Amino acid sequence: MLGIGRGGPLGVAMVSPVGGGDGLADMRTGAPEPSAGHGQPVRPPSTRLSEREAWIVLAAIEGIGPVTFGALVRAFGSGRRVLAAADGPGGPARLAAAVAAEGLTMDPGLATRIGPAGAAGGALLARLAELGVEPLTAEDPGYPRRLREIDLTPPVLFVTGDPAVLDAPRVVAVVGTRRPTDEGRRTAARIGGVLAAVGATVVSGLAVGIDGSAHAGALLANGITVAVLGSGHAHLYPSAHETLAMEIVRTGGAVIAELPPDARPRPAGFPRRNRIIAGLADATVVVEAGERSGALITAGWAMEQGRAVFAVPGPLDRAQSVGCNRLLRENAGEARLVAGTDELVEDLGYATPLEVRRRRRTRGEASQPDAGAIVARLGSAEEAVVRHLLGGPATADALVGGTSLAGATILAVLTRLEEEGLVAGAFGRYRLAGALQGVRAIGGSRRPAGGHP
Amino acid sequence: MLASVLAATLHGLDGRPVRIEADVAPGLPGFTIVGLADAALREARERVRGALRNSGFVHPARRITVNLAPADVPKAGSALDLGIAIAILVGSEQVTPRGSWALLGELGLGGEVRPVPGIMPMVAALARRGAARVVVPAGSLAEARLVPGIEIVGVASLAEAADTLRGRRVGGHRPGLRSEMVPAELPVAAPDDPAGDHPDLADVRGLFEARRALEIALAGAHGLVLIGPPGSGKTMLASTIPGVLPPLDDEEAREATIIASVVGSEPVRGLVRRRPFRAPHHTASYAALVGGGPRLAPGEATRAHLGTLFLDELPEFDRSSLEALRQPLEEGRVCVARVGRAVIFPARFQLVAAMNPCPCGWDEDPSGRCACPSGVPERYRGRISGPLRDRIDLWVGVPRIAPRELLGSADSETSEVVRARVGACRARQVGARAMLNGRLRGRALRAAAALDARAEKRAIALADSVGMTARATERLVRVARTIADLADADRVAVEHLEEAARYRPPTEGRTAVARGVA
Repeated sequence: MLGIGRGGPLGVAMVSPVGGGDGLADMRTGAPEPSAGHGQPVRPPSTRLSEREAWIVLAAIEGIGPVTFGALVRAFGSGRRVLAAADGPGGPARLAAAVAAEGLTMDPGLATRIGPAGAAGGALLARLAELGVEPLTAEDPGYPRRLREIDLTPPVLFVTGDPAVLDAPRVVAVVGTRRPTDEGRRTAARIGGVLAAVGATVVSGLAVGIDGSAHAGALLANGITVAVLGSGHAHLYPSAHETLAMEIVRTGGAVIAELPPDARPRPAGFPRRNRIIAGLADATVVVEAGERSGALITAGWAMEQGRAVFAVPGPLDRAQSVGCNRLLRENAGEARLVAGTDELVEDLGYATPLEVRRRRRTRGEASQPDAGAIVARLGSAEEAVVRHLLGGPATADALVGGTSLAGATILAVLTRLEEEGLVAGAFGRYRLAGALQGVRAIGGSRRPAGGHP
Repeated sequence: MLASVLAATLHGLDGRPVRIEADVAPGLPGFTIVGLADAALREARERVRGALRNSGFVHPARRITVNLAPADVPKAGSALDLGIAIAILVGSEQVTPRGSWALLGELGLGGEVRPVPGIMPMVAALARRGAARVVVPAGSLAEARLVPGIEIVGVASLAEAADTLRGRRVGGHRPGLRSEMVPAELPVAAPDDPAGDHPDLADVRGLFEARRALEIALAGAHGLVLIGPPGSGKTMLASTIPGVLPPLDDEEAREATIIASVVGSEPVRGLVRRRPFRAPHHTASYAALVGGGPRLAPGEATRAHLGTLFLDELPEFDRSSLEALRQPLEEGRVCVARVGRAVIFPARFQLVAAMNPCPCGWDEDPSGRCACPSGVPERYRGRISGPLRDRIDLWVGVPRIAPRELLGSADSETSEVVRARVGACRARQVGARAMLNGRLRGRALRAAAALDARAEKRAIALADSVGMTARATERLVRVARTIADLADADRVAVEHLEEAARYRPPTEGRTAVARGVA
């Protein structure tokens, strides 16, 4: 408990925005030059930011995590004061001294970055607006309450899609290895679907493997799902899941990140991301995990926060089940076993139906995730290949035998589908991926008889 | 008295004429060889001494000095034995030759003359030097006769050689060995059956994608890597290659025969028409792979010249050896340099490599039996350095096919059918551009591809989507060029590029991007 928010922007440190206007609105319209159009004297740019904006700017600086953020805001009383202190000569030294008083040390490089970052705050806010990424600070009323309760609450979340789903009454994380068995993919998709059917928001990490299957399973059950990124929104990782991410947002879910949009994927970002996955959810379900899977880190975070943890057991000598089996053994009593989807729903206490249908109706037809719609915008050769892959992973031989297409055409089609993120291939075997992951059947072709313009 | 005969030694794949001078003079009995002789040659003294004594001649008890000229060319091997013995016989006046002779052959202690490697290039060098007649070991007669423009006599013993020089041997005790002037036209052994004892493509079931990649690779002379679990048929597929490549033409056959002559353990019987297939083990040393060693011997890269170099378990090969393959892949030859001398060996080979996707071999297998910790498979595949990766055009997965997946599948094409397509496609490339696509680079490649605006945009998009380097983008276009040639298309179209994108290295594809860090 780092005391983030105790001296927060909407508490003691309320400072009215300079210029009287809504600073955020000004920034949104994209006026990066401090003096542009106002005829006012040029002030240090940080003073033009509201306290909420200062938080966003501060949290977006590379190297500032929840701990440093908390220390800085506590030391100076508000985010704006941090930025003001960082400005000008001697700024870095002031910051370092203040952080040192909190018992932390600050990387000198980081201290020198804060001032310029404050000056460029307007550009950051414009960039967020341009990308349609909504920042959500820990002081905002819409900030997910479960996330406020954890250690290392992210001071700011960057959100595309509907932030309200983060705070749904029922939220479950489904995570697992990036290298699952086909059975693991099916299980993840099924659990995602069942949880979505009982009205739970399904949270996962958008990674390939179990994560992707869990998202896809929820989408196919017309459910709501949330992807937590380990990078920024402009560097969606893995890029093969771009279509899946778009589908998640389009169907009323959300894609969120702790890092600003232009943060690139870096290995360190992913374990940190896992704490948010665990923190958003009432319970975390691990489907398949190897001995050192990141999913176990997620489960560890969940248990530390006193959240429920479930694991799907597996055969003793299957590498993808070693982590799950060990989790169950070493946390007997805390981690629970998934004996079946009905049992999981019962153990989660979700057996009583929830009034969720209403919400979906208001969103109308467009939110119906529909594999048929995805297939309909593909060409006929692509559709033939996708339809064949509905029966399960296949080699190029099987596709040549199972469609009336020429071999060279099939190989070209596979490239196009892979680019769309709808098919993934590894060493000669191809399977549906992304938004088509776990789909078992598609209704008759939706393509109008005359073809689409 | 001073005697002098002509012989030859090997320098790389070339023969170098050597003049052997023997001075048999009064003085303390002794036998010295001077003129940069190697260890095998210094031992010639003992062989020559035994052969003389056991052939009914006398080893003169006088001071014998043998000089090998030119003095600054290193001489190696036992091919000079016969010449040294004859020079001593002439020098000690036991034999009086009629005319001038060149002699090649190794001696046994009993006086027998044994075949040596490299007879063909050495005889060719003597012919170039203007020698009219050469004596060769009887076992190498067929090989020596491949060289036009020189009279060749095969002998089985030192005594026969002496008789030949004395002019006594016509119709002698080994009739029929004497050859007339060989016509300039090369005698050709019956063309080998190109399929020979190699498996036929028809025996390989399934593996459509890999077979297709193989066909493209052979048609355009592109490097190929087969990636798949153990038992998926990678080695089987690779071993069909000699039967799928068109046979060597006359010029190529001559080159291949010279190499076979120098590196072979037996004399060559006729022109080599079959393309070599070399499969060195992954423990092969640097010198074994690219050539070198104390005698600057050709390596596997040269033995595979005009044929196939198959590297099974590619990531297990010594890294510096693999890097050394970059030069032959670019230039079609290797340069082996030592202080003061360098040899260039031809090494234009079809590179085919096979590898498991990870150390245990089962990464991404549907059974999920891969036991490698996370990240290990990626690191394993990353062992192939970027520069080498960029020089191998095609990478293809070879899945393990369960027997039930083969039920009802159509019969596979035979090697003969594919060979016809490969041959036609090669002829098309040579007709249009005077070279095979595997060698297209830079401007020549751009001209050959003739991308229209739409195709060019597509090539860039395909490359961008996985963050390819410029070299990798060239590779994509190069492969697409061959796909277009197989389809008889003059321009590279979008569809060709899209198929070419299938054959990216596993470190570059979508799957690789998707599997990176976390």
